[in-house]
Amino acid sequence: MKRLPRLLALVGDAFGGRGGIAQYNRDFLGALAKSGAVSSITVVPRIARGFFLLPEKIEQTPAHAARSVYALAALRTAFSRPFDLVFCGHVFMAPLAALIARLKGAKLIVQTHGIEAWPRPSRAQLMAVEAADLVLCVSRYTRSAVLNWAAIVPERVLVLSNTVRDIFTPGDGSALRAELGLQGKRVLLTVARLDSQDRYKGHDRVIAVLPQLVAQGHDVAYVVVGDGYDRARLEAAALRAVGAERVRFLGEVELQSLIKFYRMADLFVMPSTGEGFGIAFLEAMACGTRALGLNVAGAKDALADEQLGRAAPETELAATIARVLVEPKGDPGTLAAAVRARFGPETFATGVCNALNRLMETA
Amino acid sequence: MCGINGIVAYHSASSAPEEAELLATRDAMRARGPDGSGTWWSADRHCGLGHRRLSIIDLSDRASQPMTSEDGRFVVVFNGEIYNYPQLRAELETDGARFRTTSDTEALLHLYAHYGAEMVHRLRGMFAFAIWDQTRRGLFLARDPYGIKPLYTANDGWTFRFASQVKALLAGGNISRDPEPAGIVGFHLFGSVPEPFTLYRDIRALPAGHTQWVDNAGPREPKPFANLAEVLAKSAANPTPAAELPERVRAGVLDSVSAHLLSDVEVGIFLSAGVDSGAMLGVMRDAGQREIRAITLAFDEFKGTPEDEAPEAARVSAIYGARHIVRRLNAQEFFGDLPTILEAMDQPSIDGVNTWFIAKAAKEAGLKVALSGLGGDELFGGYASFRDLPHWRRWFGPFAAVPGLGFLFRKFIRAVAPNLAVARPKAVGLLELSGSWAGTYLLRRGLFLPHELPMFVDPEIAREGLRRLKPLNRLAATLMPDPRTDGGRVCVLESANYMRNQLLRDADWAGMAHSIEIRVPLVDFTLLATLAPAIALLKEGAGKAALAHAPTTPLPAAALIRAKTGFSVPTGAWMSMAAAKLWGATASLPQYKGLVSRRWSSVVINHIGLTDDPAKVHAA
Repeated sequence: MKRLPRLLALVGDAFGGRGGIAQYNRDFLGALAKSGAVSSITVVPRIARGFFLLPEKIEQTPAHAARSVYALAALRTAFSRPFDLVFCGHVFMAPLAALIARLKGAKLIVQTHGIEAWPRPSRAQLMAVEAADLVLCVSRYTRSAVLNWAAIVPERVLVLSNTVRDIFTPGDGSALRAELGLQGKRVLLTVARLDSQDRYKGHDRVIAVLPQLVAQGHDVAYVVVGDGYDRARLEAAALRAVGAERVRFLGEVELQSLIKFYRMADLFVMPSTGEGFGIAFLEAMACGTRALGLNVAGAKDALADEQLGRAAPETELAATIARVLVEPKGDPGTLAAAVRARFGPETFATGVCNALNRLMETA
Repeated sequence: MCGINGIVAYHSASSAPEEAELLATRDAMRARGPDGSGTWWSADRHCGLGHRRLSIIDLSDRASQPMTSEDGRFVVVFNGEIYNYPQLRAELETDGARFRTTSDTEALLHLYAHYGAEMVHRLRGMFAFAIWDQTRRGLFLARDPYGIKPLYTANDGWTFRFASQVKALLAGGNISRDPEPAGIVGFHLFGSVPEPFTLYRDIRALPAGHTQWVDNAGPREPKPFANLAEVLAKSAANPTPAAELPERVRAGVLDSVSAHLLSDVEVGIFLSAGVDSGAMLGVMRDAGQREIRAITLAFDEFKGTPEDEAPEAARVSAIYGARHIVRRLNAQEFFGDLPTILEAMDQPSIDGVNTWFIAKAAKEAGLKVALSGLGGDELFGGYASFRDLPHWRRWFGPFAAVPGLGFLFRKFIRAVAPNLAVARPKAVGLLELSGSWAGTYLLRRGLFLPHELPMFVDPEIAREGLRRLKPLNRLAATLMPDPRTDGGRVCVLESANYMRNQLLRDADWAGMAHSIEIRVPLVDFTLLATLAPAIALLKEGAGKAALAHAPTTPLPAAALIRAKTGFSVPTGAWMSMAAAKLWGATASLPQYKGLVSRRWSSVVINHIGLTDDPAKVHAA
């Protein structure tokens, strides 16, 4: 009987990490472990905080944030036991992962997400990606960007979209709406970080169209979930635009609360120009709430070419929001089911298995 | 010969393709198939196939495509001809297959059902096809060993698309036009875009002699099933004695021409005053073809001069009892048709204009199919490269083996004799490139040499294009395994590069622009296998002499003499005039022999519409 491959995963963070990339890594490695296609997974993270549970077949070494210490830890782990596959969770780590894969005679998988993979990387990173047996991209846009700078066989570059967890489901958001004093209003929601380097997320764009929407007679309110150093500036801008009555900046919220926010909103809007994919679109739609983004970059994938949500040109943002607000809302359950069919955990698990099978076909 | 296309939305997140896109791509290939059209969709509408038909075998509607197998499991779209179809059909029927048509297309369905992907080893012909397997929910694509028929693919990570033409894929409206630096650089190096690249990053050719499988896990890397170098390498160990050469050529060519006459419509021939097409005509007669119309392209400028091919072609035509049609071309018609020619050109090419006009003549004569002598020079050592490459390797190779010497030589010449460096760029590159067969071939065939590129192409595109194309590695890969003889190596280099990427591609777009199927009996994998043991030791001129004697009534000796003196065509001068008129920037090009091709290349690539701003591609 053929031995199942053993996988070494070099990641920034996964179990014990926060944010979209950590979530993707957990989803990917979890699906791989569950698939039965690998015998073991050893995760070497740079960051891991707090308490976390590891799925069966997965072990995680202690985190080392410092780059050189991390590299030594990764090398030590790599040579402490046999590995057949090396998974690299970030382009920045690709040179180290490629070195380990080469020394171990293992196959190399490089994962790419968003803006980190769009510009041409350093020469070392470029060579490492070109040496990969498989490059996974979260969206068509990221795949296209990678193929723009990497001289790699295009068939080795696959799209494995983000997934959305089963916990995001439709439900009644009226209690939260009442708690926020937004009864009767049309609630626009954005969930994203509020750091100055994340301005591409598009909060400013939403704030800019709010007065126009109000002037057109839309009784809108703008709710922002997320925190960061740019929060004060954005909050002040929103207050100036439409006044305190229509604006709520609520900072970071726990997962259960986040689901309620999604359910409460009339429209999830994130007119971002820099999404690798935009998992928040999926979470909102899985909660039965309509979603709107710009028709650029990875957002087009999350919105499924407008089969699930709206992907507007930037110049038509206000008009599109206005149009969606007056359209019938539709059945939340139908939207959630459609999201799950394209991006649900089962679909994601199939994609993970397909990717691994592709790799093993050439073994 | 037809136009095929398809869309497979294979990714779990992808939406069903739009009918409008399938039709737009299909109907951008109207000239490839004016006799009919069809589409087919899977039940979930995630796979759509399109076809435009040029009816040649089984002219009835029952042979229309997309064609579904009797049990409904397989659906095929096919461009090309399977010349051993009668034998395959007989074998399949013996095995229990039931045919509903007399079309070679149906044979593909039965073969795939019987042999799966291995079916390609049983095919003799020119082909590009796709078969959708409803049970496995996957698409199988294949392209013939020489790459006579084109097949282009595009994969955006969710959806896979294919078509017979690059422009047709673009017409669908969902494929990026982002430029591929390797394609741009490849065009400037070779005068045609080397496969698998195209001018567009997201469109690739399925390489000749490859198959590809696409299912819900996405398209797999193309798999090779035929290799010209391997055929010659295997035969080099047992070369044919020189005395056996004529009989081997006669039997092989007769067999190939006979196979290529399979048709339910009239098969004509493009006749020049050379050996290749003349011998084809003679062998057509030997193969039993009664009525033959032979078409010759002649030029008003040459009328009454020794360069006029028409008189000699008429003599050859008379010998074999063909009905000779001379189609005369003048500068006025050339310039009048030029916009249409450039529009029909699927990918940029510095050649193909003559083929376009002779195909036009064939269409005017009411033909649908014509044989061409294309491939004779590659198979029978007709090019000067068969002599030059081994000589250059012997004379200059040792110097090129000294690291850095070639580079220093080029710099030295540039410094002390700048005019020579401009006038003879290839001579300057001699010590740099003649260290390998690949380098020597690039030197011989190159339109521009790598070190010249930054003068004519945006330096960043030149640098990135060379990095992605790896021209020497790519050329060297065509010689794997090593054919083991000089003749074999040059035969493979010419066949797998110049002929594949330029001559055959030109024959396709130029013929199809007039709905003419151009058949090439000297570009036949079976014939190559027959002649490979002889190619190993072919002496200069012996191959063409053997070909001239292939017909029962040999070609007159004058044809051989003429072959040695070569031909000239006025289209070169016309192209140069057109280039000067249409593209003033060529003033910066060096004035030396070969200038016409270089000038013409600027016209072609700028007309192809890669970018609205030529400065993005061309250096100022």
